[in-house]
Amino acid sequence: MSNPEITMDGPENPQRDPSRRTDLSSALAWRRSAPSPEPATDPRREPTAATADSDVEPDGYTEPNGYAEPNGAAGDSEDDTWTPPEPWSPPAWSPPAAWPPSPAEQPPPADEPRMAQQPSMVDQPPMAGHPPTAEPSPTDLADAGQWYVAEEQTEWPAAQPSVAGPQWGAVEAPAAGSPRPGVEPLVVPAAQWAVTKPETVDEAAVPAPTGQAWPPPSMVEAHVVETPIAETQVVEAQVIEPVAEEDLVPADVDAADMVDAGVVEAGVVDADVVDAPAAYLEASTVDADPTVGDLTASDGAPGPYERQEALHVATGQYPLVSREPATLPADGMAESSVDGDAMTPPPVPPEELPPIDAILPRAEGYREVGFDTVHRSLATAAEFQPYRELGLEPDEYARIKQILGRRPTESELAMYAVMWSEHCSYKSSKVHLRQFAELAERIKAQNAEKGPRSDRMLAGMGANAGVVRVSDRLAVTFKVESHNHPSFVEPHQGAATGVGGIVRDILAMGARPVAVMDPLRFGEPDHEDTRRVLPGVVAGIGGYGNCLGLPNIGGEVVFDECYQGNPLVNALCVGVLPVDKLQQKAANGPGNVVVLIGAKTGRDGIGGVSVLASSTFGQGSENRRPSVQVGDPFLEKLLIEACLEIYDLNLVAGIQDLGGAGLTCALSEMAAAAGQGMAVNLDLVPLREPSMRAEEVLVSESQERMLLVVTPENLPVVLSICARWGVLATAIGEVTAPEAHGSGQLRIWWRGEVIVDVPPGSLADDGPVYARPMREPFERELMKVDRPETLPRPESAAQLRETLLRMAGSPNLCDKGWVTEQYDRYVLGNTVLAQPEDSGVIRVDEATGLGIALSVDGNGRYARLDPYIGAKLALAEAYRNVAVTGAAPVAVTDCLNFGSPEDPGVMWQFAETVRGLADGCAELGIPVTGGNVSFYNQTGGNPIHPTPVVGVLGVFEDVARRVPMGFSGEGDAIFLLGQTRDELGGSEWAHVTHRHLGGEPPAVDLAAEQRLAGLLAEAARLGYLTAAHDLSEGGLAQGLTECCLRRNMGAHVALPPDGQSPFVHLFSESSARALVSVRKGQEQAFASLADRHGVPKNALGIVAGTSLVFDELFEVDLDELRRAHTATLPALFG
Amino acid sequence: MSIIVGVVTFPGSLDDRDAVRAVRRCGGTAVRLWHADPSLHGVDAVILPGGFSYGDYLRCGAIARFAPVMDSITAAAREGMPVLGICNGFQILCEAHLLPGALVRNQHLHFRNRDQRLQVGSVASAWTNAFAPGQDIVIPIKNGEGCFVADARTLDELEASDRVIARYIGGNPNGSLRDIAGIRNETGNVVGLMPHPEHAVDELTGPSLDGQSFFLSVFRALAAGPGGAEAGRGAANGAGQGVGAAASPAGVSEAGGRGQERSSRFGRRGKASATAR
Repeated sequence: MSNPEITMDGPENPQRDPSRRTDLSSALAWRRSAPSPEPATDPRREPTAATADSDVEPDGYTEPNGYAEPNGAAGDSEDDTWTPPEPWSPPAWSPPAAWPPSPAEQPPPADEPRMAQQPSMVDQPPMAGHPPTAEPSPTDLADAGQWYVAEEQTEWPAAQPSVAGPQWGAVEAPAAGSPRPGVEPLVVPAAQWAVTKPETVDEAAVPAPTGQAWPPPSMVEAHVVETPIAETQVVEAQVIEPVAEEDLVPADVDAADMVDAGVVEAGVVDADVVDAPAAYLEASTVDADPTVGDLTASDGAPGPYERQEALHVATGQYPLVSREPATLPADGMAESSVDGDAMTPPPVPPEELPPIDAILPRAEGYREVGFDTVHRSLATAAEFQPYRELGLEPDEYARIKQILGRRPTESELAMYAVMWSEHCSYKSSKVHLRQFAELAERIKAQNAEKGPRSDRMLAGMGANAGVVRVSDRLAVTFKVESHNHPSFVEPHQGAATGVGGIVRDILAMGARPVAVMDPLRFGEPDHEDTRRVLPGVVAGIGGYGNCLGLPNIGGEVVFDECYQGNPLVNALCVGVLPVDKLQQKAANGPGNVVVLIGAKTGRDGIGGVSVLASSTFGQGSENRRPSVQVGDPFLEKLLIEACLEIYDLNLVAGIQDLGGAGLTCALSEMAAAAGQGMAVNLDLVPLREPSMRAEEVLVSESQERMLLVVTPENLPVVLSICARWGVLATAIGEVTAPEAHGSGQLRIWWRGEVIVDVPPGSLADDGPVYARPMREPFERELMKVDRPETLPRPESAAQLRETLLRMAGSPNLCDKGWVTEQYDRYVLGNTVLAQPEDSGVIRVDEATGLGIALSVDGNGRYARLDPYIGAKLALAEAYRNVAVTGAAPVAVTDCLNFGSPEDPGVMWQFAETVRGLADGCAELGIPVTGGNVSFYNQTGGNPIHPTPVVGVLGVFEDVARRVPMGFSGEGDAIFLLGQTRDELGGSEWAHVTHRHLGGEPPAVDLAAEQRLAGLLAEAARLGYLTAAHDLSEGGLAQGLTECCLRRNMGAHVALPPDGQSPFVHLFSESSARALVSVRKGQEQAFASLADRHGVPKNALGIVAGTSLVFDELFEVDLDELRRAHTATLPALFG
Repeated sequence: MSIIVGVVTFPGSLDDRDAVRAVRRCGGTAVRLWHADPSLHGVDAVILPGGFSYGDYLRCGAIARFAPVMDSITAAAREGMPVLGICNGFQILCEAHLLPGALVRNQHLHFRNRDQRLQVGSVASAWTNAFAPGQDIVIPIKNGEGCFVADARTLDELEASDRVIARYIGGNPNGSLRDIAGIRNETGNVVGLMPHPEHAVDELTGPSLDGQSFFLSVFRALAAGPGGAEAGRGAANGAGQGVGAAASPAGVSEAGGRGQERSSRFGRRGKASATAR
């Protein structure tokens, strides 16, 4: 392809005659853009802002967000001496294919010629919402190559109508400048806004909102015209006056329409529309006090947003929320106005203006603007970049340069650093995780053999969360994720945002989140760090989940020394959605608008994934606290309600949550998933801290944000729904079509400059993949021979009794009420079972009784002894926990917590774990639908135990058939199901009484698990069971303890006379076992059912009395047992 | 025609749908009210549900009490419309001065969710008349700021006038003074309750069915009151703004008085209502 730089022009504004641009105008433009952090320029505004004599081009940062004025004021005469700065030359950013020539050889080649011939380039700021594209303007097309002409002919006409509807037209004039539909200006309907605003909001609130987001230029100018001089001072408040608006808007619309239609020549349009702004511009530039400059917006008077807040507090009412849903569409703009306020950019102190002599030698056409741009990266190809500090390896950095054909800009580097971090790219685990994808095929093949069975899985690996169909109409989505590192650094917020993050993952699938669960692991319970971390984590989870209105239905609390410096905070969320509301993250449809909704972006969580999650803890980890995000559950609640309302109306083309890697991840994944590009004006992102740099905005992990792609027609409705819920929504860009090289480009503008121009797939999908070295840890042999059989065992009845009580009160087996009472398990009114039951059970459909069961389990000690078996055991336990409630297990999610992948021993553990899990799932015939890997859970040279946490989802046809775990019927028969062997390797008994970890974990027999599950499901359906409880950690002794204490019903049992010692019967942790109580009179039926299913059974005794009696051994009163069982945590944590 | 109960949704309300479900399960008709809409849509009674209105980042209920719908509810409550505030709703009622006292942070500083035993106190209210005095019931509690406090004189007065409708037994879960779990106003139409009766109406999802009696009580009160629910609703609907029925146990229903009150109330709102139109 010919060098596009030469043939292409920047985004041309058809309304403008390039020849009219002067140095002065360029200078002004630059002045505004570079110094002030104001939102980017709005090219579409240009026509209105142009001066009457058309000599001055206010392109720079005009009012995109209502601050234009201040900048304008700053345009003192000195600036006029400036040579036209070249913000960037669009041509340079055309398809990467054109660049590969290294920047060194190809210095912004286009610059010189372009500068000379087309001063207009300077002025082309990206549209307020939209970046100028690299494409030629219509007027330039004649000069452009055939390629462009062709494109223009095919796409251009079609694109116009959709984007430049009456609403859009009002704001954006120069739509015609961009050949691609994708580049159309993103505008909000100014007319609507202006009209409806007063109605929606109380008088006081009105002014505030408008300000920034998209102060319709017309409004700004209208105001300007009337009070050219004073306006500098009170920009925002005045901008909002709808006064002259009506008059102007039509004018703009007409102009835009005409231009769009290609009927009017640029010059003509200018004449019409530009007069007023010109006056303003002159007035402000000349008359305004230069010292006011950029600071105007904040000169003491409360900003619109502050006023709005005050109003809110005073009236208890969100200004935006006062409308009936039915009328929503009408006032779509209301909320965008709020956005505007929110995003008021901070004034930039004059001293930050880039020095004039900062222009680098080789960049003739390039001028320093105070931050790194694509243009600059070409001009300063050799500049050193601190990629190592950002966590990138030299070869990764080289790869980035290869992809881009130049060095990355600072923003690009930051984006690659986070997206290629272990956390986001799964670069160490990818090669192993492929087994889960293959697993789906394995299971499908198996099922095909068994006969036709509809595939339950609607979305699997790669989606935000797996989605499983549970009925013709409904699907369930669930996923477990880690938030380990943040939770150690800042337990409360770390855990809270862990919940928030996984909830948004579920929300992004189109589901209403209906419950959460939390598998937690801490160090020694009496360690001071645990006393700090555990209460904080629990309060964080409770505080966030409770306020969000999600029942917490289960989880784990496990203590082990190995988690001392690396507590594990995993969070699972499950959601329910109508099958036809399943959302996707692909940003389809060029021309569609990219909308950021939710919280403002702040500096919290900068680099969380790379700095925190992808490195091990060492000295100074407290300094990483700023890398932890801060959560606002109230906002997330509103976000959920707003999103669900938006889904209901089918308004979304694509949606993605913002979690790790923030905007970077969402933008690149959405674009990459669709094979499209995106054009984003970063200046429009509402900021909590206006002084944020572009790269900070891009990688910030501020919580409670979602990214939506909506069609322009739906935009007003989406905005109004958000407004009703008081959720900020801002159109920040749009989807662009793939380019000549076949895929889309992600382009991001900041202050009018292109700072990012990358193929989104290179961020999202093409991260590095490592097959890291693996080696079986030699210590494993040592542990294997350190068998638990060598440990002294209790033998006498008294010793057994003492052991049982001690075990019941041990931190891992004791009652977790202290924790779970801090969680709301009732909210939403569908919780059928919650902790301490084996599974959380949720009613999904009130009409039919359809329900689901969920359990999460893992045992790091088993996995340490044998990761392959350990993974299968975790799966087996979760599977069994679901099965004992009577549900049919259907799908799996997992959270794999490991040490550093750079340790070959850890990598081996990881590989074995994945292999075990994949094999186990294949054997059970249930797919892994999604999950999460957490590496670097390691302090110094001590990794945690490999800890696969496995979540299993089960389905009930009728949730009323669920079986609880507590004995309830006096005289019910108690059966022990399954085979008990002498298996105490990695057992709780060995841990509690001997601090021992050695030998081999219990054998795993998944076929036996399946038989057991089959029996339990059928017995539950037939109504035989009054209670069922899985046996795992702590063995039968613990199982009986929990069954009895749950409803305060005693039991009288005799251990089976099968040759095993009472000790083994009581404390062995053999798998595939369960304890059930059978309704009186149905013992025989149940026994024969067990035989039919091939499940070994032992009649142990009956439910009776108020104590737990072991025949011929010992007896424990339930009150004594309860004291032992419940006193532990309150004693430790208050 | 069944009784119509309005359930208000504030931003951050969480148990609103549960309250709706509870009303329906107990045989009533539930209507959802929006915090920003001052109209009560002709409902006979109102429930302020649990949750974290406005995030409860300020004092719980302190912002919600200023919601437009609260103006209407406060006015209607003063005229006898039955109003039940559950948890966050109780906090809002206290903030709105429809009930005395305040709810503060639990004594132990933790959120606490458990199945709580209660002893019913006063049954002379629109929301407890279906209970037997002294009845022992189990209702879930879940709150972080459910500790009821008031000065000693107020507490004495509450007890002396039989306005404590339920007390915690078997352990005070949050440190409430005198184990108070819920109170009523003088006329008995306004009740605030920390425990969540809407979570005790279904065997499958609740620890008991004791919560049903709260809802059955209000149906009974409304059906029995002179003028009854029908009359009240008729008047309210006719007015279009829905002040609702006056059906306190005292059973006073003065449509004329309501009308005056309504007009004066909206007169005060003047500009706002004009804008809304």
